[in-house]
Amino acid sequence: MSTRQWIGPTRAVVFFAVIASLPVFGLAHWAMNMLVFTLMFAVMSSAWNLLGGFAGYPSLGHVAFFGIGAYAEVLWFQHHAIVSGYEPFWILPLIGIGVAVVGLPVAALSMRTRADVFAIVTITLLFVVQTLAFNLRGLTGGAQGASIATAPFPAATYEQPFYYVLLLLLALAMGLTWAGMRSKVGLSLVAVRADEDKAAGIGVRVQTVKLLAFCVSVGLTGMVGAIWAYYESFIYPQFAVDPLITVAIVLMTFLGGRATLWGPVLGAFILELAQQYLAYSLGGSEFYLIAYALVFLVVMLVMPRGIVPSIQDRLRQRRRRRVVDAT
Amino acid sequence: MTPLLEVDGVSKAFGAVHALQNASLTVERGSITALIGPNGSGKTTLFNVITGYLKADTGRVRFDGHDVTGVKPAYLYRHGLCRTFQQARVFGELTVLENLVVAGGFPLAQLFGRRIGRSDRNRAGALLDEFTLTRVADLYASELSYGQRKLLEFAAVLMSEPKLVLLDEPTAGVNPVLIETMAKHITRRHADGTTFLIVEHDMNFVMRLCDPVVVLDQGQEICVGPPAVVQDDPAVLDAYLGA
Repeated sequence: MSTRQWIGPTRAVVFFAVIASLPVFGLAHWAMNMLVFTLMFAVMSSAWNLLGGFAGYPSLGHVAFFGIGAYAEVLWFQHHAIVSGYEPFWILPLIGIGVAVVGLPVAALSMRTRADVFAIVTITLLFVVQTLAFNLRGLTGGAQGASIATAPFPAATYEQPFYYVLLLLLALAMGLTWAGMRSKVGLSLVAVRADEDKAAGIGVRVQTVKLLAFCVSVGLTGMVGAIWAYYESFIYPQFAVDPLITVAIVLMTFLGGRATLWGPVLGAFILELAQQYLAYSLGGSEFYLIAYALVFLVVMLVMPRGIVPSIQDRLRQRRRRRVVDAT
Repeated sequence: MTPLLEVDGVSKAFGAVHALQNASLTVERGSITALIGPNGSGKTTLFNVITGYLKADTGRVRFDGHDVTGVKPAYLYRHGLCRTFQQARVFGELTVLENLVVAGGFPLAQLFGRRIGRSDRNRAGALLDEFTLTRVADLYASELSYGQRKLLEFAAVLMSEPKLVLLDEPTAGVNPVLIETMAKHITRRHADGTTFLIVEHDMNFVMRLCDPVVVLDQGQEICVGPPAVVQDDPAVLDAYLGA
């Protein structure tokens, strides 16, 4: 194996080792809270990237599935007891699959449109689900909100179970992305993104890979919603189906670089940490939003295609030049 | 033996524009048939109808003895009828090798298999050599010149082992050296038994390579025959020069 082949796995191991060991340093609650949210966004950006990045379908409705996952979690535990505190994590796979199944007909319908039209169609989905959450009072409690029992974890390390479950979920999302990129699914998805009609014309299984990308993407997003609901223990429609979350995950993915393994994660770490930090330091007024936008604008000005692709391009050109020089 | 491709009385209108009016066309097995005609005479529309990208209003298309009117492009592609586009349509974000592999098709079970497996490499390798693309196999298609992209698109559709290849203006916007390369590849493939239907404006290219030549004007076939005959046909001169 050449050294280059080791870079990828090494990077992954180092990243996960570092992130996994952070709580050991006894970080303050505010810091842990910030990291929990950062991981949530890292998972959701990675999930969004499968659809918006690889398949080229920029969904703005992902937070609808976040909300469905959140309400599914809450509703389930209104009828089931939480004893050890870990039960809400055990049913995550079920919620993921459930949300993916719900996503299937949505995908079949909405993916008849493309690009900007698809974005608009999915954004209406977001508002439909939000309206439902407000108005199906018997089910969701409407604007009164709905609650799930608070986790019986010790106060000193309260965030840690959430943190590690999210880290596992991030590993899953990135693992799926990596496997997808290396398989013919990834090959087909790039073809779909580049020229869907041509791809269909040469027999690429356009429909299969599109639906697959959509369902996996929203399934992961639904699981994050479920964890979020448990973490917050009280959820309201305006926060469970918050357009700002959709905007954030799209921005993060664009910032880090679409259709790359690390781009969405990097984008989430930069933007979420920046946002939280700015919110703390600039106070309660919404002034931090301007600073937050500024971070985004500066990076986009310097690297319009996102951070990871810009770096990859530069490396690729250097390598090519070296090859040319050598011959 | 029946002709490889028979187009019978195809009409297609876009609103008030009658792109094709009762157009007919026959492509014999083993021929290099040219389809020429002034701009707007319906050549590309006919291509789109034949390959299933457009639905004809009336008329039938028969390919290899089967009625394939209104059949999906992917089906035709898998059964030996493929095409290239006027503006080379290759996947810019895939490498040259990947472009060939994706065009080669694979069974559903392989969807989760390696992106580029060894068998893929072997299958594509011969074509890469044939088209002298081996050196650029790992470049992104977007990094190729326009002419090379046309060559790549041509090579890629050959992955499906077609019986009939439809080329839409293979030499438009391509430098003279590459035109010769293109001609060479067409001739070689033709010698190996592939049939061609080519839309082309470069008359020199058409006269050299193709026989018969079909002339289309205002959505109708106005003349068919060997290049020398077509060249002197008054109806053809009329269509091109306008009288």
